[in-house]
Amino acid sequence: MGRTVPSITQAFLHEEASFARFRRALRRSDQLALDDLFAAARQHLAAAAYAAHALPFEIFLLAMLLEEHKEVMRLRARVEAQDGG
Amino acid sequence: MNTTLSGWLLDVYPDLKGGLALWLIEDAGAARGRRIRLRQPFPVVFYAAGPDERLRALWKYLRSQEIPVELERAERRDLFQPHPVTVMRIQVDDPARQPALLARLASAFPDLTWYDADLAISLRHAAVYGTFPLAKVRAVVDERLAVHSLSVLDSPWDLDPPAAPLRIMRLEPDCDPHHTAPRYLQIRCERREYRLPLPTYPPPAPPIANTAMGGESLPLPHPCFSDGGGREGGRPLLVNLTAILKRHDPDLLLTAWGDTWLLPYLLELSESAGIPLPLNRDASQPVVHKQERSYQAYGQVIHRGRQVHLFGRWHIDIFNAMMFHDYGLDGILESSRVTALPVQQVARQSPGTGISSMQIVTALRQGVLIPWRKQQAEMPKSALDLIHADQGGLVYQPTIGLHRDVAEIDFVSMYPSIMARFNISPETIGDESDEFAEQAPELNLWVKRETPGLIPQTLRPLLDKRIAFKQRIPELPAWDPRKAVYKARAAAHKWLLVTCFGYLGYKNARFGRIEAHQAVTAYSRECLLRAKEAAEDAGYTVLHLYVDGLWVQKPGCAAVADIQPLLDEIAVRTGLPVALDGIYRWVAFLPSRVNTRVPVANRYFGVFQDGTIKVRGIEARRRDTPPFVAQTQMAILEYLAAASNADQLRERLPEALAYLNRRVRQLRERRVSLPELLVTQKVSRELALYRTPSPAARAALQLQAVGKTVRPGQPVKLLYLLGKPGVHAWDCLPSPCLAQVDTRLYVELLLRAAEAVLQPVGVSKEALRGRQQQALLSSFSTPTGHFLARNINNDIDIIS
Repeated sequence: MGRTVPSITQAFLHEEASFARFRRALRRSDQLALDDLFAAARQHLAAAAYAAHALPFEIFLLAMLLEEHKEVMRLRARVEAQDGG
Repeated sequence: MNTTLSGWLLDVYPDLKGGLALWLIEDAGAARGRRIRLRQPFPVVFYAAGPDERLRALWKYLRSQEIPVELERAERRDLFQPHPVTVMRIQVDDPARQPALLARLASAFPDLTWYDADLAISLRHAAVYGTFPLAKVRAVVDERLAVHSLSVLDSPWDLDPPAAPLRIMRLEPDCDPHHTAPRYLQIRCERREYRLPLPTYPPPAPPIANTAMGGESLPLPHPCFSDGGGREGGRPLLVNLTAILKRHDPDLLLTAWGDTWLLPYLLELSESAGIPLPLNRDASQPVVHKQERSYQAYGQVIHRGRQVHLFGRWHIDIFNAMMFHDYGLDGILESSRVTALPVQQVARQSPGTGISSMQIVTALRQGVLIPWRKQQAEMPKSALDLIHADQGGLVYQPTIGLHRDVAEIDFVSMYPSIMARFNISPETIGDESDEFAEQAPELNLWVKRETPGLIPQTLRPLLDKRIAFKQRIPELPAWDPRKAVYKARAAAHKWLLVTCFGYLGYKNARFGRIEAHQAVTAYSRECLLRAKEAAEDAGYTVLHLYVDGLWVQKPGCAAVADIQPLLDEIAVRTGLPVALDGIYRWVAFLPSRVNTRVPVANRYFGVFQDGTIKVRGIEARRRDTPPFVAQTQMAILEYLAAASNADQLRERLPEALAYLNRRVRQLRERRVSLPELLVTQKVSRELALYRTPSPAARAALQLQAVGKTVRPGQPVKLLYLLGKPGVHAWDCLPSPCLAQVDTRLYVELLLRAAEAVLQPVGVSKEALRGRQQQALLSSFSTPTGHFLARNINNDIDIIS
């Protein structure tokens, strides 16, 4: 609808699409892992929009890392709980 | 000899014999209840600006016109110019002749800038006298009923104005005329009921054989398409209707399909029979027709049906009134009261026009010029500034799943409140050099704070009135009749306020300016983030943020008193009014249909602590969902809502599933009536432009084949049938039989809708579909059924 700057969702879909060839060449199991990463980035679209960064993909990468780190923290807490118990 | 009259102002319009015609419902003295037509002289003023020699040419041109005008050189303020502009003031004594004069001038002097040129007469009158529809007025008139002075006794901002004794006549055919030919016209007025037979038509050509529906009577041809047969039968109808209109003399004709069928039909009948029909109270005026049209707004094609406007009396077609289903007549009257627009116009148009009308009245009163066909360029910005400025409100992705202990907090009319609080208006956008300017959050934009802007001044009383109603509504007991009225009025305000933001950003709107729009969204993001921070500081988890609302969670959050400190803190940190929408027993945020791992911002359902269900974005809210599916989905939710907390949800599932099972069986056994299966879809473009016609387009083609045209933006009711073309347009007769219905498709729609509401509470997709319903139910009766997801607790991630 006549936007000058593409919306963050448009930018996200564009970035995701630009990796289509990369994704195609991956093994099926790796493809699914890649999809997980993009889904993780997508959870932070609002923050990415607010950041209004000129290169949104840097933000998406950081969002992927963020979700990975949360997962690490979650797993670490679990392991520690098991070790402790 | 002059006399003083008082009463309610019903209608104002240009009198064809000069001046204005005013209709009054008298409220005092012997003439109480009398409807009286007054005349009032009312000169109309507009302005032209441009180079001196062109203005001189205009002067000469106007002097040679036969329409008498008064000309004067003046200085006025244009909001979009830093300094006052030199203009020619043109005054026309006869308001009825001004539009034609303007048209001639605009084509003879296209290079001049015109101001105050095309304003509705009711707005001009409102600016001068403070009038609005149904205002209480006092008028001093002479023996020829010409008004010498007029004063308004109440204000549009009164919360309980004295109700005008409107005489309402309801007129409706016995069925949808676009579907089948009606046989009767039903009329109700002042506790009387009438039933007038509509003219009969010559026997129709044999209809298409419909073997399956054998018993149904032959359909009559549509009266609109008949070539005049049965005109003889029109006489009794017209004579009776005239007598009824004269007896009751209604102020308002509230019709069903009056714009699109009934009134044009009656007028055509009256013309061909040569019997005048007094639909207008003012016999000197012709009835006005407005043609149907399609246009695009906000990415949607919108269709407005043709309209029939009356004089001295109102006509509202409940099916052509924009918001009738939403706020009814009370809401329409309230919109009209606060915007000063005629009731007949308010009923039929989008609320956006209402808010710009209010701005026009404010501008007229302050002597600010109102541009006609404004052209204004955006300020130049750097690419980085643009990236920062060109954003909307903050829309988060909610945490998918079922949650408890959740409160929903909303900013009250957030965008208008921001405009009022931070003084955002086209003329208050300044720059760094302004001493009193404040920088908009994160933007290279400055807002002047010292003089109140046009938009904030316009909005303030409306916001105050809305907040006053919002405070009063919960205090009233449920039986109080004012409760429903207040709600309708608050709904009307809501729509006006919602649209004022869009108009601020629309550069072609008379008082629109893109920078003002950007400043509003920047403040909204700042305020929402401050609210988020306040919630997190107070120990809440923020589940979702959506433009002007936030959903926060904290174990044990169950009563208003628990959340009040947070509400106060947010109000302090943002300076904007906030309200608690409610505390949920439980709420579920749903994933996208396409990708179940991706949440969508506005698709959720939940149950408040008082048992009220709130749903957004699910099938039951969508108009293209067949009633049968929507009802089933809502009924499932009601079963779930019976659980008093999230722990008991599981216990409600067997009942909900048993119900779903019955509904599926009902569909499969074809025990559902056709109207319950109707899907309503819009045609989005001209039929010839479809490459692969949508179901709506295919249905529209069927309608076209029988001579009923469908314009872009118009909804089509259709059924999904087996075989090709797969659809049947409901308004194409004869109706198909139940055996032709594509049951499998409807079962699919039903299961999809059920899935949306059952998945978050632990019923997997496979469980709903993969098995026979019966098997599903029997395994469900065991509480440890393996398809029960284990996620009825607080920290849910994604339901797989």
